[in-house]
Amino acid sequence: MCACTCLFSAHSALKSSCRNLDLWTETYGISFYLSYLSRWPDLCCVQEAPNGRMMGYILGKAEGQGNEWHGHVTALTVAPEYRRLSLARKMIDLLEFVSDEMYKGFFVDLYVRCTNNLAIDMYEGMGYSVYRRVREYYGSLGIGKGGRDEEDAFGEFKPRYHPYAHPP
Amino acid sequence: MSAAALERQLRPIYDSLDTGSNKSAIVACNKLLKKHPNNDLLKALKALALVRSQKVEESLVLCDEILAAKPTDDAILTAMMHVLRGLGRQMDMISMFEEAFKQQPGNEDLGAQTFFANVRAGHWKTAQQIATRMHKQFQEDRYLYWSVISAVLQANDPSTPPAMRELLYKLAHRLITSATTPSYTNADRFHLHLSILRHLGLHEEAHKLLDHEAGKSICSTSLACNELRRDIWHADGRWAEEGALAESKIVEKKDRNWLEFLSMLDAVYPPNMADDDAAKTECSARIEHARSVFEAVAEKDGLKDRSGPLALLELERRARKHGCSNDPERLLNLLKSYFDKFGSKACCFEDVKPFIDFDGEVLANWTSYLQSKETSLTSLTGLQQRINIHKLLRYNLTASEINVESEASRATLYAKEYIDALPLGAELPVTELQPADDLAILAGSAYVSLWKISEDVKYLHCAATLLEFALTRSRQCYLIRLMLVRIYRLLGAPSVALEHYRGLNLKQVQHDTLSHILLSRASTFSLASTGDLTFATECLETSQIYVSNSQETADFVVRAFTQEKYSQIPEFIAFEDRLDNSLQRDTIKMEHVRMRFTHEAITSDIIDLELIELKFIFDRNHHDNRDFAIIPNYQPRSQLTFNEQTALFGKTDGLGWLLTFLKLYIRALQQASDLDDVVEEKLLIGDRPKQNLDPDTKLPLHERLRKRQDDQLSELSSDELTLLKYADDLADWLECYHDHIRPHPSVVLAEAAKQTELKTGHPLKGIELALQENGGANGNGHNKKDEEPPAAKEPPEGVVQFFDSIKSRFAAAQNSSPVEALHVATLAQEAFIFLTVETQRFKPASVVKVHKLGPLVQSVKALRANAIAALKEISAALAKQADLEATADKRKDFIDSCSAVMTTEIDHDFVFGVAKRVTDSRKKVLDGVGKGIVRVCSSYL
Repeated sequence: MCACTCLFSAHSALKSSCRNLDLWTETYGISFYLSYLSRWPDLCCVQEAPNGRMMGYILGKAEGQGNEWHGHVTALTVAPEYRRLSLARKMIDLLEFVSDEMYKGFFVDLYVRCTNNLAIDMYEGMGYSVYRRVREYYGSLGIGKGGRDEEDAFGEFKPRYHPYAHPP
Repeated sequence: MSAAALERQLRPIYDSLDTGSNKSAIVACNKLLKKHPNNDLLKALKALALVRSQKVEESLVLCDEILAAKPTDDAILTAMMHVLRGLGRQMDMISMFEEAFKQQPGNEDLGAQTFFANVRAGHWKTAQQIATRMHKQFQEDRYLYWSVISAVLQANDPSTPPAMRELLYKLAHRLITSATTPSYTNADRFHLHLSILRHLGLHEEAHKLLDHEAGKSICSTSLACNELRRDIWHADGRWAEEGALAESKIVEKKDRNWLEFLSMLDAVYPPNMADDDAAKTECSARIEHARSVFEAVAEKDGLKDRSGPLALLELERRARKHGCSNDPERLLNLLKSYFDKFGSKACCFEDVKPFIDFDGEVLANWTSYLQSKETSLTSLTGLQQRINIHKLLRYNLTASEINVESEASRATLYAKEYIDALPLGAELPVTELQPADDLAILAGSAYVSLWKISEDVKYLHCAATLLEFALTRSRQCYLIRLMLVRIYRLLGAPSVALEHYRGLNLKQVQHDTLSHILLSRASTFSLASTGDLTFATECLETSQIYVSNSQETADFVVRAFTQEKYSQIPEFIAFEDRLDNSLQRDTIKMEHVRMRFTHEAITSDIIDLELIELKFIFDRNHHDNRDFAIIPNYQPRSQLTFNEQTALFGKTDGLGWLLTFLKLYIRALQQASDLDDVVEEKLLIGDRPKQNLDPDTKLPLHERLRKRQDDQLSELSSDELTLLKYADDLADWLECYHDHIRPHPSVVLAEAAKQTELKTGHPLKGIELALQENGGANGNGHNKKDEEPPAAKEPPEGVVQFFDSIKSRFAAAQNSSPVEALHVATLAQEAFIFLTVETQRFKPASVVKVHKLGPLVQSVKALRANAIAALKEISAALAKQADLEATADKRKDFIDSCSAVMTTEIDHDFVFGVAKRVTDSRKKVLDGVGKGIVRVCSSYL
C-alpha cells in the first residue's frame, strides 16, 4: 500500500464520485458528507495514489453515552484497482488511533452487509467480531437469492480499552 | 382568545406546512386571520405557504408588511427566514435580523442569527463586526474565533482588494492573540491560528506553538494541522529538518504515508538548491542516503507495501531532472524490478505510467523486457500480469506502429484472451467484477481507435458487441457502461446510451461530475419537439443536485461555526461555490433551453424568463467539475484519449462552447424581449448573484454578446459555427427594428404593475416611482414613435442562403453517419427557431402598420417560407432513412460487420440482440426528429 493519507475535504466529495459507482458502497447526499465533516473531520480521510488518483476513503464518527462512548466506521471504500493492497486496514488503523487518542473511545464498531464475505473476512482479520445482526439495514439490493439476507447487516466491534478501566 | 388557544390553532398550520399541504395551510391562515387580522406570525406562515405554492407576488405583499413591523419574535423570524430564503432575498433576511438584534441587544440568540444571516450571504465584513460585538457583550471565546475567521474569510474573498487582505490578516492575528485561553486547547482553533501565522510569515511564533507539547500532540492526531505544520516548515526553508522527521517516522514508526516519502524526497532536492558543483556533490550524498533508506524499506516490506520501490523510482526520476543521475540504466532496472514484484497487481500500470515516457533504444529495451515475460492465462496473477503488459506496451506505441492492420490484430488478441480468461472468474458471485474485464476494455479501446483511423463504422459495432457481452459477465462493471454510453452516442442510438447511463445509477454529486457523458449536446437526440421529454426530464432531474446544494450547504457552514470546526468552513464555502457555479450545471441548462424551445410555444413569458436566467449564468465564474479521468483510457500516448476520440463531432464542449451558445441565445432573446435593464432591475424579486471579477464582464453587455473569441469557437463543430454565423447576421439585420419598436420601460412597467394588481389586488412596489422617473409628464412611452422608423433593409446574404446551403450540407451529413445527420437537422431546426424568436415582434398587424414594416415583413415571410420548405425536405429525408434502419437487411449488415468478435460465446443470437437494439433506437430517433421538425414548422407558420 502506498498512499497520501490526507484530509477528507468537501472537495473530496466531488472527487469521490467515481469510486462510489461500486455496488457495495452507498453514495450519500451532500448533507451526509457535510454533517460528518462539520462534526468529526478528524475521523474522515482519503487515500490518494502518488499520481493524485483517489484510491479510497473512510468516514467515521464518535458517539454513545457513558461506557458506550466509541468510534464508528460509517463508510469505507477502496477503488477496485487498488484492492488487495491493505488500504482498508491502514484507514481503519488511523480511525482507531484518532478514536483512541482524540476521542478516548472505548471501542470501535461498524456495520457490514451479511453477504459481503470479503469485507467480513477482512474485518475479522483485523480483530473485529460480530455482536449482532440488524434486519434490513441496507436498502439497495432488494430481496435476492438469499431471501432477506442481502439487506441485513452484521454489527461488528473491536474493544480498544477495557470499558471499566477508564470511566468516561 | 387567549394566547394559548391561538397557539393550539397554529399547530395544524405548522403540520400542513411540514407535510407540504400548502393549500390547506393557506385556508387555515385565512380563517384565523379574520379573527386576528394583525397577527404577524399568521401572516408569515401564510407567506411561507404562498411561496411554497409558487404564488410569489402575493407572498411579497405580506412579506413587506411583516418586515415593516420589524419583528423580534422567534417564531415569526424563523418563519420569515424560510420565506425570504424561498424568495432568494438574503439581503432582506440580514436586515430583518439586524433590526431585531438592534431592538434586543441583550438577546444572544438574535445576535447569532444575525451573524449567520451574514454568513449565508458571504458578508464577512459585517459578520466580523457582529461577532466582535458579541464577544464584548457575552464574553465567550467562540465569538472571538468567529470574528477571527470572518476576517480571514473576508481577506480570502476574491472581491477584497489585495492591499486590504494583509490588513485583515493582521486584524485576525491581533484578535486571536488577545484570546484568554491559548488556541491549542482545540485542534480547529489551533489550525486557524497556524494558518494566520503562516499567511503572515510569522514563523517564529508558529514554531513556538508547534514546539509546545500540546501543539505536538495535536499535530500527531490531526492531519489538517500536520499539513499546516509541514507547509510552515517548508516555507521556512527547513527542508532538511522536515526530511529528517519524515525519515524517523518511516524508519522507526513504520509510517507508510506517501506524504512522508515526499518530504524526504523534497529534502534531497530542496527548491532553493544552488546550481553549482558543490551543491551537486552535497546532493549526491543525500541521494545515496535516501536510496539506502528506501532500499531498506523496500527490502523489509517485500510485497506488502509499494512505498519503498515507488520512492526509489521517484528518487531516480528527480535525479535525472536535476542532472544528478550517474547510472543511465538505473531507471529501467528499477522499473523492471518493480514489475517483477508488483506486475500482478491491478494498480501496476497506473503506478509506473509516470516513469515510462521512453523512446529510442530505452523504449526498445523496455518493450523487449515486457514481451519476454512469460505469463499464463490460467491463474489470476498470470492474467493480471498479462493485462498490465498489454497496457504498458500499448501506452508506448508510436504513431508508425498504429495502423488498421496492427490495431486489428491487437484487438483480436485482446478479445481472444478475454474469452480465454473468462473461466477464471466463473465462480465469482454476480455482484463481483470479473478479473478479465480489463481485456474486454482493451479490446473495446482498440476497436474504437480502429474506427478513428479507418472511419469504418463496423469497428464501433465490434466494440459495442464485445463490451455488451462483457457486461453480461460483469454486471457491475461501470467502466464498460461508460464506454458503451459514448459508443452508442456515436452510433446514433441514444435510447440505448440512456439505458446504460441509467444502469450506472448515478446519485447525488455524481450528477455534476458524470452527467456530461450523456448530456453534452443531448439536444441532438432530443425528441421534445414530438412531445417526448425523456432527455429534457433527464436534464431537470440531474439538476436537482444544484437545488439541494443551494438549500443545504449554507446550513452546514453555519453548523461548522456552531461546532467550531473552523478548518472546514473555507472548504464548505468553496464546495458550495463549485457546485453553484458548475460548468456542467449551466451546460445542462443550455441544452434544456434548446430542447424547451422545440417543445413549448415561444411566448413572451418564456422569452423573458429564460433571458434573465441565461444572463445570470453569463455572469458566473464557472468551475469545471466534470470527471474525465474516470473514462478508461488505454490508448497509446501518441494518440487521442478514448474520451477525445468518442466526443460527438470530435469536439469536446467546455466553457467556450457554453459561452458562445449563451451569447447566441441571450442576444436573440434580448431582441425579442421588452425587458431592458431598467425593467429587469425593477421586476427582479431575489438578490442578484455575486458579480464575476473577470474584467470582461465589466464591458457593456451588448459588446460582450458580440465578442467572438477563437479559443471559444474552437470548441464548436463546423455546423455549429455555421449556425452561429447565421444567427449573428440575423440579429445584426433586425436589431434596429427591435430597438425602434420596443416599448419604453415605463410602459412595460405599467403593464407589469397592472398584471400584478389584477392577480394580487395590490400594486407593485416601487413602480410608481419608476413611472415618474422615466415616463415623465408624457408617461405614455410613445415618444420614440415620433421618430421615423428605420428604412427597410434587404436581409443579409448569409441569412437568405442559409437554409438552401444547410439542405445540401444535410445530404452530405446523411451519407456520413446518422448522428451527423441528426446534428445538422437539429441545427437547421434551431435556426428556424431563431428566426421565429427574432421576428415575433413584427407579427401583429397594428405593429406593422404603425411602424411601416411592410417591406420587412415581406422579406421575413419569404425567408420563413424558404426555411420551412428546406426543413420539410430534411424531415422527409430523415423519415426515409428511419424506414431503412429497423429492417432485416440493416440488422444483417450489423451482424456481418461483427464477424471479428463472434465466437462460440458471442453467437449470432447475441449479436442479433445488439443489432436490433441499435437499429430500433436509430429508427426511433431519426423518425422522431424528422416528425418533430414538421411540428415545429407548423407551430410557427
